[in-house]
Amino acid sequence: MMNSTEEECCGREKMEKDVHVTFLELMYYLLPSPYESQEINHLTLAYFVISGLDILNSLHSVAKDAVVSWVLSFQAQPGANADLNDGQFYGFHGSRTSQFPPDENGVLIHNNSHLASTYCAVAILKIVGYELSNLDSESIVTSMRNLQQPDGSIWLVLQVYVKIYTPNDMLEWNYFLFLNFLIYVGSFIPIHTGGETDLRFVYCAAAICFMLDNWSGMDKEKAKDFILRCQSYDGGFGLVPGAESHGGATYCAIASLRLMGFIEDNILSSRTAASLIDVPLLLDWILQRQGTDGGFQGRPNKSSDTCYAFWIGAVLRILGGCNFVDNKALRGFLISCQYKYGGFSKSPGEFPDLYHSFYGFTAFSLLEESGLRSLCSELGITENAATGL
Amino acid sequence: MDYFRAVYVADERSPRALALTAEALQFNSGNYTVWHFRRLILESLKIDLHSELGFVERMAAGNSKNYQMWHHRRWVAEKLGPEARNIELDFTKKILSIDAKHYHAWSHRQWVLQALGGWENELNYCTELLEVDIFNNSAWNQRYFVITRSPFLGGLKAMRESEVLYTIEAIEGYPENESSWRYLRGLYKGETASWVNDPQVSSVCLKILRTKTNYVFALSTILDLICSGYQPMEDIRDAIVALKTTDMDKQNNDDDEIGDQQNLNIARSICSILEQVDPIRINYWIWRKSRLLPST
Repeated sequence: MMNSTEEECCGREKMEKDVHVTFLELMYYLLPSPYESQEINHLTLAYFVISGLDILNSLHSVAKDAVVSWVLSFQAQPGANADLNDGQFYGFHGSRTSQFPPDENGVLIHNNSHLASTYCAVAILKIVGYELSNLDSESIVTSMRNLQQPDGSIWLVLQVYVKIYTPNDMLEWNYFLFLNFLIYVGSFIPIHTGGETDLRFVYCAAAICFMLDNWSGMDKEKAKDFILRCQSYDGGFGLVPGAESHGGATYCAIASLRLMGFIEDNILSSRTAASLIDVPLLLDWILQRQGTDGGFQGRPNKSSDTCYAFWIGAVLRILGGCNFVDNKALRGFLISCQYKYGGFSKSPGEFPDLYHSFYGFTAFSLLEESGLRSLCSELGITENAATGL
Repeated sequence: MDYFRAVYVADERSPRALALTAEALQFNSGNYTVWHFRRLILESLKIDLHSELGFVERMAAGNSKNYQMWHHRRWVAEKLGPEARNIELDFTKKILSIDAKHYHAWSHRQWVLQALGGWENELNYCTELLEVDIFNNSAWNQRYFVITRSPFLGGLKAMRESEVLYTIEAIEGYPENESSWRYLRGLYKGETASWVNDPQVSSVCLKILRTKTNYVFALSTILDLICSGYQPMEDIRDAIVALKTTDMDKQNNDDDEIGDQQNLNIARSICSILEQVDPIRINYWIWRKSRLLPST
């Protein structure tokens, strides 16, 4: 097997953990900046920093209570008389930029809480050891249902209504819209005022339900059906049915199915042919993503990119196929993307960014780099954080 | 942003507010709150949405990889209805002419075709793109999308014959192109027996094997076929044996065995060869070999 050894870690091949910790610590201090940030995804950045520090076994730099207060301050609180089925989602905002105070009656008129920020918020809380039972998860989970695209049958009724009350020339148009809508049944939009719907948000929903241990927030069967429709002819998964198969989308698909309990442990070892998804085809597609430079690409015939070492590597971890990767070659690629002052870039010779740095750290965790904590692949947080130890 | 927040909280739906959203989006095109409010204003003021298409196009020139912007574009197109069809196809074509693998553009284009139509020229468009770059996986995917969903083409089965010919030509030109091999297999989706029994499939594999170059996908295809019940004839078996190097396990002399054992031996040989010629996946091929059963 191709495991990295101490000898290989010396010299130019070293993963410079300390420098990365410093890099993240710098990011951490810049996070809760006193001035109003233009950044819409503040919580996402915080997740990269805090989860990153945890993976690098350096969470001690983090003031956990302060982080908890900060994260909780982004929660969209339903007013005392709010109806959780009023169509709104009561999750977490991504930043102050999208957050507005409730009106004088305590009603949250401007609720821009977002599914992705909610995933990040819950993940951060879990990482810093916050007792999640203290969280108002009922509001989050119950209102999350408003984000899942409804049953096709509801739209059949609507279509009849539309046919009766719509001028003739718009009939065909509405029929197209209706058919088109059926594609997305089971999927999630990220925010109740409307947004694109695809596998990314199915994943966020599943991860949130899993971490809060409350699945009443989503119809797992409908979500599963949507995911299955996203498997492409080549075995990978696209973001929506018909879309090109893509490493990130494939991660969202497999991690979601795993979290929802539809994929058993070590599925590759079992000889049962019947499975929800075409596993052999997926496996072959996934493994072909490793290029001659050792790195992983997101789609066939594209260049390698650091982040796919996580998206693809995590899928293999979930399926039980980590050993099929040339880990030495992968490590070599990642090292070539390592920046001497900390962080990882997308490809060799470029400047690092927080996103690629985080996924570089997760990739090294999957490679079982010494000094790093092991990862819960399907949640994107350490196993430590996932089990709450 | 302070000005934006003020009009947003006041729910001011005015031209001034609209201009403010444009400004706010210059600073952060990912701000979904601003995009949503902009939509509310556009509706209230009953703004001509054709000009809004122009607004999005100008934004795309700055940064076209932005989910919120593309969602907004879709919202506008949905409102305009069928008249937006050609505009949207042209718009995505423009983006794709700069980046032929632009994921958002392809997603939007697929939505346009399904919601607004315009399928008539899409297969030709894919062919054009593949002529420029036969390795463009997005174009191959779009091809599959068209042949399976176009209301004018009759579906996968009806299109299979012509598409197999097209794909085989592509494979013969560049046998190292993963996209064409995956597409070929995809043409038989849900009908493994048709895939196994179609002589054109094994035939193209044999052709590539005989060239003794870029034969990795040809080999793995034969392997997958055998695992689905295919029984390779002598010419294929000979071509595979010819690729074995002297250090490979030659104990299983294929000619001595028949039937299932023969198929098993040749499958094992394929795995052995792949372990050598596709070393980055050596552990996978070792595992594939270990999974082979006589009745494979």
